[in-house]
Amino acid sequence: MTAPGARYIRPLARLSRADEPRFGGKSAGLGELLSAGIQVPAGFALCTAAFRFFITEAGLQSLIDKRLASLSPDDLGGVQSACAELTEAIRSAPMPGAVQEEIDRAYGELGGHSSDAAAAGATAVAVRSSAIGEDSESATFAGQQQTFLWVAGALNVIDAVRDCWASLYSPTAVSYRARAASADRARASGTVGAAGAAGAPGAPGAPGAPGAPGAADASGASGATEPPAMGVAVQVMVDALVSGVMFTCNPVSGDPSTIAVNASWGLGEAVVGGEVTPDEYRLSKVTGEVLRERIGDKLVEYVAAPAGGGTIRRDVAPERRNVRCLSETELRALVELARRVERHFGSHQDIEWAIARDGSSPANLFVLQSRPVTAVPKRNQKPRATTAIGLVMSTFGVDPAPRDT
Amino acid sequence: MASSTPALGAFPSPFSIQPPPDCAGWEAMYPYYALFDEHRRETDENRFWFWNSMHFPVPMPAFDVICIDSPYQAVGAWQNRVFAVPPAMGIDYRIVNGYVYISGNPVTDPEQIAERAGFFQARAGYYYENWTELYGKWRAKMEALIAELGDLRVPALPEYEPDEVAFGDDRNTAFYEVLDAYGRALRLCDLMWQHHFEFLLLGYGAYGTFVEFCKAHLPDIPDQHIAQMVAGIDVLLFKPDSELRRLARLAIETALDAAFVEGRTPDEIDAELAQSEAGRSWLAELEKVKHPWFNMATGDGLYHYYRSWLDDPSIPYAALIGHVAALKAGEQIERPTAEIERERDRLAQEYGALLDDESRQPFNDLLALSRTVFPYVEEHKFFCDYWFLTKWWNKIREFGALLARHRFLDDGEDVFQLSRHEVASALDELVLSWATGGQPAGPQHWPPIAARRKQILDRLAAWTPPPALGVTPEAVTDPMTIMLWGVTTERVQEWARQQDGGRALNGAAASPGTVEGIARVVRSVDEVADIRDGEILVCGSTSPAWAPIFSKIRATVTDVGGVMSHAAIVCREYGLPAVVGTGSATARITTGQMIRVDGSAGVVTLLVGEEGE
Repeated sequence: MTAPGARYIRPLARLSRADEPRFGGKSAGLGELLSAGIQVPAGFALCTAAFRFFITEAGLQSLIDKRLASLSPDDLGGVQSACAELTEAIRSAPMPGAVQEEIDRAYGELGGHSSDAAAAGATAVAVRSSAIGEDSESATFAGQQQTFLWVAGALNVIDAVRDCWASLYSPTAVSYRARAASADRARASGTVGAAGAAGAPGAPGAPGAPGAPGAADASGASGATEPPAMGVAVQVMVDALVSGVMFTCNPVSGDPSTIAVNASWGLGEAVVGGEVTPDEYRLSKVTGEVLRERIGDKLVEYVAAPAGGGTIRRDVAPERRNVRCLSETELRALVELARRVERHFGSHQDIEWAIARDGSSPANLFVLQSRPVTAVPKRNQKPRATTAIGLVMSTFGVDPAPRDT
Repeated sequence: MASSTPALGAFPSPFSIQPPPDCAGWEAMYPYYALFDEHRRETDENRFWFWNSMHFPVPMPAFDVICIDSPYQAVGAWQNRVFAVPPAMGIDYRIVNGYVYISGNPVTDPEQIAERAGFFQARAGYYYENWTELYGKWRAKMEALIAELGDLRVPALPEYEPDEVAFGDDRNTAFYEVLDAYGRALRLCDLMWQHHFEFLLLGYGAYGTFVEFCKAHLPDIPDQHIAQMVAGIDVLLFKPDSELRRLARLAIETALDAAFVEGRTPDEIDAELAQSEAGRSWLAELEKVKHPWFNMATGDGLYHYYRSWLDDPSIPYAALIGHVAALKAGEQIERPTAEIERERDRLAQEYGALLDDESRQPFNDLLALSRTVFPYVEEHKFFCDYWFLTKWWNKIREFGALLARHRFLDDGEDVFQLSRHEVASALDELVLSWATGGQPAGPQHWPPIAARRKQILDRLAAWTPPPALGVTPEAVTDPMTIMLWGVTTERVQEWARQQDGGRALNGAAASPGTVEGIARVVRSVDEVADIRDGEILVCGSTSPAWAPIFSKIRATVTDVGGVMSHAAIVCREYGLPAVVGTGSATARITTGQMIRVDGSAGVVTLLVGEEGE
């Protein structure tokens, strides 16, 4: 596939977990899924060096440093104006020729037509940011990454890549990193500052961990003093009839015997963005049976724009709003998929999936992303007794450890 | 408990309950000690009483009160005096408008709890260690008890005693025989209840511990799966139906299936079968099956009107008709025991594998212990509640018939309208007047009482009892209350909420925890800035742009979204309770209102009173 000389791009199928520091969590994760034989849409990944090369070539580093200096994360207005400026600078800077050529070639190999933006029949792809650390075990922070759907034509792909990079400087991302850095500092100095207290008591350390490595020892109050790194994943679009997310455990209680599926019509954005009340299915991982279901009010869906390029949000026809969007067969395929993905990674997974309009179950079921479930709630306080008879005794109010402590 | 301010909770005081119209005097059906009375008001009013609708769903006939007294004597004796369950003595009951309310007596003194723990560990430990052997002896005792009940004769009152009384050695006259038989009947019932509770607490305790263990580690596990892992394969309770299946197959093999027609009564079927040789031998086979397997009760309860299959064979005959039809349609009607066993082991293995290493050993051990105790848990109902009780009520019917023959009752069945002590009194007078030849007062005294009580029971049946009375407990700690009735703190709070008129909104339980606080309804991003520290965010949905506010708020409620929506994920990240997808929170809640968000149950309660203090 990709030319042997490619410096910035690799096919997803040739990535694994070990490539996370260079390609970002999303791309590495997709590569890992493919190597486990799980169906993922074909695609390629840009490494972080492409982003750094771009920043250097465009001479943007000093601007970034200047605008972020002494910015308080609580100053919403200040953050917003700094971010607007940085975003615009990144989006308008030229893509280095070497990177552009590699994107052209890799996109062409996916079946896309080179350069011609409006070309009819150009392969539609999804372009997603693949941040370093962002998909790590320590935090799932929804909405912090960019995704551009239904991008067709190499020029549009290149624009979308730049937009992904620019998202590193969205107000949300900047204030999040700043908080993380200040929480780290508070922890390092042994005090619990205001920003530290913002972290959930139940998830100690969670907000701090995903910040760029090295940010913790940054001395400036502004947080990130060097550009955080970011990779990008480009994948063939799945024309989804239904999509959603599933947890291979109960997301609230952490029950490992449950698979929790949220599903709605069209592309996954409606579910992930909380724009619909999705169908919720609670499935037994052991028997596959539906333990509970709640049919949501699926008012809107995202589908490919009829003109080509991008997606549109449209109302769901009234007769489809309050009906189940998954069949028993599809639910069974999801259970089977959840078991395989979880077995491969050896931990509970948060899986984004889509069911293509074409094809039949289970061949039309694709995984778009899988990451470890973070912030699994702590189990109820562990009983003090650990033996069976000790547990029975405590049912009857016999203190397992006679009061000698 | 609050000692200075005995604040009555959300439930009605037991002393505030009025009888339904035209039920005056209902109290006379019940013993004095079963009523709420002024002498105990101070304590009774400040306790938590819940309606035992599990065992006593309808108003108690006077005689059936023995099935309150005797079980609570027995359960208390074992629990409090034999095993000395550390935090719990026995269970008190009271009757209100015919319905039974119960309340556990806790042990609160730590020294006493510790002392009891010593007894409990030694005695319960002995039972668990020797369970199978002890349970074998128990079954033998129960069968002996049932045989003794079968041998109990209710004598008639003859005009002249037979010659044996005059000429034999050591003969008793009928007056003594009647009183003795009645006394023995009551004692046999007491004995049955004593046996009933010998293993019950420990059996349910072991099984309940396994259930709790599963639910703590696997909160979504269906109860069915837990039961499947524990349940025996070849269980006595399945035996009556499996015998019916066998008889259905025999009917087909001997070409008798034409007799089993939908809509026929048992008598009609028997009559047709009696016509042929094959039919007669089938009936002979049925007769063997009846004892003991037709001692199943037609309902599950402790009331006299639950009869056995022997008394009312319509249920087993309907089952026979169904089994015959299924067999003729080519269905497999025998329980696939090999398959059930495979599935049971697969479930146990798979659930065990999902647990962490630390939990797997106790899981396996608790499962093994549950399987050891489970035969009792499943079988005691057949021996006690079905076999013994249906026969015992019939024995009491014989005394009823005796009283009716002598016009002390209009109908033998009316015996159940008198308490067991009143029946003793009626029998006393009956044998007295039989002996003296004088005129009895009973025929004038008892029939109107029975008639009036039937009328009262009908009226009380139309009354809806509150789920609980007295003070709402802060926490339910009594292990028996939790284990046997499933009355937990959460359940009681839910009852209380329903009582206090608070309105609730239901949504998805998105992030666990419960808080109360002031609502802030936010309809657009512009209003985000208005949020003050410690408020509860109520909005349509949230977006990543709102990230900064999650460090300020205490909980989130949304109109739309599921457990994986942005609001849900962020709230779990921050450890804030969240209920999402309520549908109408922004419409029904106003800024400034006090609300309670229960993110574990997915319930938002609009608290009474618009503002907090």
